[in-house]
Amino acid sequence: MLNKTALNSVHRELGGQLTDFGGWEMPLWYPTGGVKEHLYVIEKSGVFDIGHMSVVRVRGRDTYGLLQLCLTRNIEKLAVGSCGYSVILNEEGHVVDDTIVYNMGGDDANREYILVVNAGMGSVVAEHLTKHNTFKNVTIRDDAGNFGKIDLQGPSSVSIVKKLLAKGKGSVEGLKYFKFLGDYADKNSPVRLPGDVPILLSRTGYTGEVGFEILTPPDKTLAVWNMILETGGDEVIPCGLAARDSLRAGAMLPLSHQDIGHWPFVNTPWFFALPLDKEGKLTKSFIGAGLYENSPSQYTLPFCGFDPRKVETDNAVALLDGEKIGVVPTCVIDMAIGRSGGRIYSIASPDKPEGFHARGLVCGFIRVDRPVAPGAKVTLKDARRSIEVEVVADIRPARTARINI
Amino acid sequence: MKTFEELDIRKDLSYSKTHEWAKKAGSVVCVGVDDYAQSALGDIVYVELPSVGAAVNAGAAFGSLESTKAVSDLNSPVTGKVTKVNDALADAPELVNSSPYEEGWMVEIEAEGGAEFDALLKSDAYAEYVKTLDASH
Repeated sequence: MLNKTALNSVHRELGGQLTDFGGWEMPLWYPTGGVKEHLYVIEKSGVFDIGHMSVVRVRGRDTYGLLQLCLTRNIEKLAVGSCGYSVILNEEGHVVDDTIVYNMGGDDANREYILVVNAGMGSVVAEHLTKHNTFKNVTIRDDAGNFGKIDLQGPSSVSIVKKLLAKGKGSVEGLKYFKFLGDYADKNSPVRLPGDVPILLSRTGYTGEVGFEILTPPDKTLAVWNMILETGGDEVIPCGLAARDSLRAGAMLPLSHQDIGHWPFVNTPWFFALPLDKEGKLTKSFIGAGLYENSPSQYTLPFCGFDPRKVETDNAVALLDGEKIGVVPTCVIDMAIGRSGGRIYSIASPDKPEGFHARGLVCGFIRVDRPVAPGAKVTLKDARRSIEVEVVADIRPARTARINI
Repeated sequence: MKTFEELDIRKDLSYSKTHEWAKKAGSVVCVGVDDYAQSALGDIVYVELPSVGAAVNAGAAFGSLESTKAVSDLNSPVTGKVTKVNDALADAPELVNSSPYEEGWMVEIEAEGGAEFDALLKSDAYAEYVKTLDASH
């Protein structure tokens, strides 16, 4: 029996193509189709049911100490109202899960942080923290069942959110990337939607585009979803997990347990999760840090191909000059990009060539046994075909995630 | 994807169990994928087809369909030689979704003999077959 989010009946009514995702019944796409959904997020906006994610709330005087031990990120400078990307490692330096950690503030005795982790990972992460908790004053709670989560992503999301808020409108003005407001569990939250609905509004997302992640009380999720669609009108459409996957890959974001997982977290495009100073030295000690004393030769690298043709990740290998060098954890199509004159352009690129028509490019990540420089060609081979792709420094250009709002 | 009731299964076509349709005019067989396939696959974003003159074998792959989610083989319903390829699909693969039986056709094959075509499912039998797949969802 699959888990269902508060929006499951909506997905059915909308004719969503449902699939089992990490034990949850979630929409892959709606009748609009995954291509249009992907493009809509880049040009206008899309709304996603992300209620399958997990939330762990950690509270008490020693929370900071416990999280400094269990997160790779150094949260010393993570101010109240800020959030950051981190991974959680085991003693071997393998990934337990990745997370966005939110500093909720509170007085010394009640300092609170929230960890948003992946589907089915709430109890796993809570147990991991509990296992390593040598401190006295910390409570760790898997908040399953106590929240709904909706992501609103794309350039139109800013005006939609501003229109939508009943309280806290002004504080969205100028809200920076990786800042957040409010708390879904606090009825006096400084950001509230009509009907006095408290939310946590976070300027983050998993698409590479400007947008928000919205945590709601569980019984208000449907109302919030409807409010967003009503307020957004033609500027927003519901989007499924296929568009979410292709958008995040083009934005070079990892999928936990696929691009990162039970293998060493070394030499990845996500080094910013590590507490490194300018010389590349670790600024704190944490569980799994021993890995960095003697890192294995393993490299996760982004690639982009020359047309939309994919290989199947479960049986594909990466070849360099005919020699097998690794595997292909992610291989999807970013439908908003194409190549012209040796460069990758997006439909959003201001300098795209006249008459540019994006036919989509295959992209994703390879995990290989040696460094391969951007620009080098690698062959991906599965049971059906071989395709040539290029190791790249970036995939989809002209992303909006960091713009000023 | 579409429910059985929503599917457009054309009476004048023959079908394979792998959801290709085939239409015969003389010894030439025109081939595409049907409404069930396009609906199940979702948005088609790339169609890989053989060149004119290529030999194809009944039941074997002659090309592939790339959807946002997966890659699927296109299986030839008959043995023969490709005489025509729908070049429009290179620029507009979405025609497979919007018009699977007309603008989304894929290849024409000069068939060797007629027995393989005759062995394909007629629309009524194909509808019954699809119904069993639908029920398993």
